[in-house]
Amino acid sequence: MGVVVLALAAGFLTYSLSVGGVHMKRGNYEINAKFGEAGSLAPGAAVSVAGVKVGTVSQITLEPKTFLAVAKLSIDPTVKLPSDSTAKITSDSLLGGAHVSIAPGAAMDDIKPGGQIENTQGAVDIFGLIGSVIRPQGGSDAAASSDAPAPDASQPAASY
Amino acid sequence: MTDVTPKLAWKGVTKRFEGRAVLDGLDLSVAPGRSLVIIGGSGQGKSVTIKTALGLMRPDAGKIELDGKNTVTLSEGARRKLFSRVGVLFQGAALFDSLTVWENVAFRLINADGAPRKEARERAIEALEQVRLSPDVADRFPSELSGGMQKRAGLARAVVAQPEILFFDEPTTGLDPITAAAINELISHQVRRLGSTAVSITHDLASAQTIGDEIAMLHGGKIIWRGPAAELRTTDNPYVRQFVEGRAEGPISHAV
Amino acid sequence: MAAAEATRQVAPRSLANPVRALGRSTLAAVRMVGSVGVFAVRGVAAALTSPWFLGQLWRQFVAIGFFSLPVVGLTAIFTGAALALNIFTGGGRFNAEQVMPQIVALGITRELGPVLAALMLAGRVSAAIAAEIGAMRATEQIDAMRTLSTDPFRYLVGPRLLAGVLMTPLLTAVADTIGVAGGWLVATRVLDFSSAVYIRNTIDFLQSWDIVSGLIKAAVFGFIVALMGCYHGYNAKGGARGVGRATTHAVVSSAILIFGSDYLLTTLFTHAS
Repeated sequence: MGVVVLALAAGFLTYSLSVGGVHMKRGNYEINAKFGEAGSLAPGAAVSVAGVKVGTVSQITLEPKTFLAVAKLSIDPTVKLPSDSTAKITSDSLLGGAHVSIAPGAAMDDIKPGGQIENTQGAVDIFGLIGSVIRPQGGSDAAASSDAPAPDASQPAASY
Repeated sequence: MTDVTPKLAWKGVTKRFEGRAVLDGLDLSVAPGRSLVIIGGSGQGKSVTIKTALGLMRPDAGKIELDGKNTVTLSEGARRKLFSRVGVLFQGAALFDSLTVWENVAFRLINADGAPRKEARERAIEALEQVRLSPDVADRFPSELSGGMQKRAGLARAVVAQPEILFFDEPTTGLDPITAAAINELISHQVRRLGSTAVSITHDLASAQTIGDEIAMLHGGKIIWRGPAAELRTTDNPYVRQFVEGRAEGPISHAV
Repeated sequence: MAAAEATRQVAPRSLANPVRALGRSTLAAVRMVGSVGVFAVRGVAAALTSPWFLGQLWRQFVAIGFFSLPVVGLTAIFTGAALALNIFTGGGRFNAEQVMPQIVALGITRELGPVLAALMLAGRVSAAIAAEIGAMRATEQIDAMRTLSTDPFRYLVGPRLLAGVLMTPLLTAVADTIGVAGGWLVATRVLDFSSAVYIRNTIDFLQSWDIVSGLIKAAVFGFIVALMGCYHGYNAKGGARGVGRATTHAVVSSAILIFGSDYLLTTLFTHAS
């Protein structure tokens, strides 16, 4: 009986890991992306291209001089990104799931390991946006996008 | 008169349980190579006497001397070395249920002496033959044996390492007279063969006289009579007389 | 518990003097804590120093580890499934049903996996150990072992403590996996989740500390379960009834200590992460 249990557990685990996507960190290369607002993006969040996970966020730090959030992205070695790609912090739903979505550019050369994505768009504060519509006080610096914006994660908690 | 250091001696040993002194200044000794049987009523402290001698219980006062050296204050490690010179047959044989008979008999050899399993098994089967158990008992489990066979296996376990001192705690209790006689015979045979010193406790008089060279009676926490086995039935001591004759009335009153 | 035994002798008088009874019970409890502490130290010393009884250790690995798999597996799958349904319902109240996989995974790895596996072990393993060692005590087998120059702490207690500490995290890892699988089954068959989305959400969300903290808890719980079984069995008094009492005490004290230490560890781990 114990063998059955072990087999079931092992089976499910293998299935999950194969479905779960990129988990072999070995061989991944790292690139940087600097954002004006990291929002609720956290290390371990997914990095995807066209909705397919290609890597993870390995670290988020603050650059002292420019006060930009520097995200280190660990990318699958088989995925090469054109040097003019755009990185955007977006989310699955209103309640979080912040991750980095990369829209590939059209350049001939690719971003090298250790390189940087130049074009970035930070997290969007939806409640700030709503607030600025209700009480207009000058433009906010976050651009509205057609994707679901990443809200400030503490706001939902306050409403209940 | 021999002035030999006793093999084992209890000197002023006192042990209390819940305020009652089960042993009260017990003085007793056994000469090397001799067989002593301690008799007495139930609950008189016979088991406690053996357990203090073995160090399974710590006396509240007094000394236990093995070859003249006090063993009461020994560390657990030193006591373990002491145990290698001793063999014990417990009242219910106390065989380990989860091990086969031969693994029981060879327990000390395998776990304390580090003997290889094959050699240990051979010695175990030899010991089983000594107590007249056939080799096919060796691979059975204690629960499959009868009471008498378990006692014999326990005896084999006690003698397999050829100890200097043997202790027998009620070896024939619960056995039918024929099996009891067989056990008595085996015990005295083994003691003689090994030349060990033996201390037994029993309330079976036939057993006492078969196994023992000397008999001592324990009552009120002290030894009240001691003499050669032959004198058991001829002595005038009123306590011994009441015990031997099996009378309910007499100087021994029971707290029943 | 055993405090009741210490006060049994003086029960008639204590009815007239509750303060004295309270004092006696408290002292008995303190004495018990000390006694368990000393026992634990001896057991750990026996477990961590040579000589080891590898045959006994292996037997305990199998008895505590392998043979507990069915019980742990069953517990985990039903718990995972039920939890998924409940979290789904709760999440539905904020239109946040899609967060269910993450919450279920978190709940299982951090709390339910280790605690429920440990409770099942408390019932199964702790009771079995207490009964076995208690019966050995009652039939003088432990005394016999000492006279055979073998330390019962090394032969009996050490292997069980080691097996408890090492096997429980492994069992918990299996419980975690099967618990998540239970949630996945319910999600994909009953709640119309997509299998890939469920699994991907779970894996992306879980941090290694979630799983590791649960395994650390499991090791502590495993120690508790084995220790309580050994302690109460070793100190069983009074024949068959004593063995029965020892078994009950082992299970109850294991469970109480598991809950207590769970709270303490959870607090510690919450601050640590």
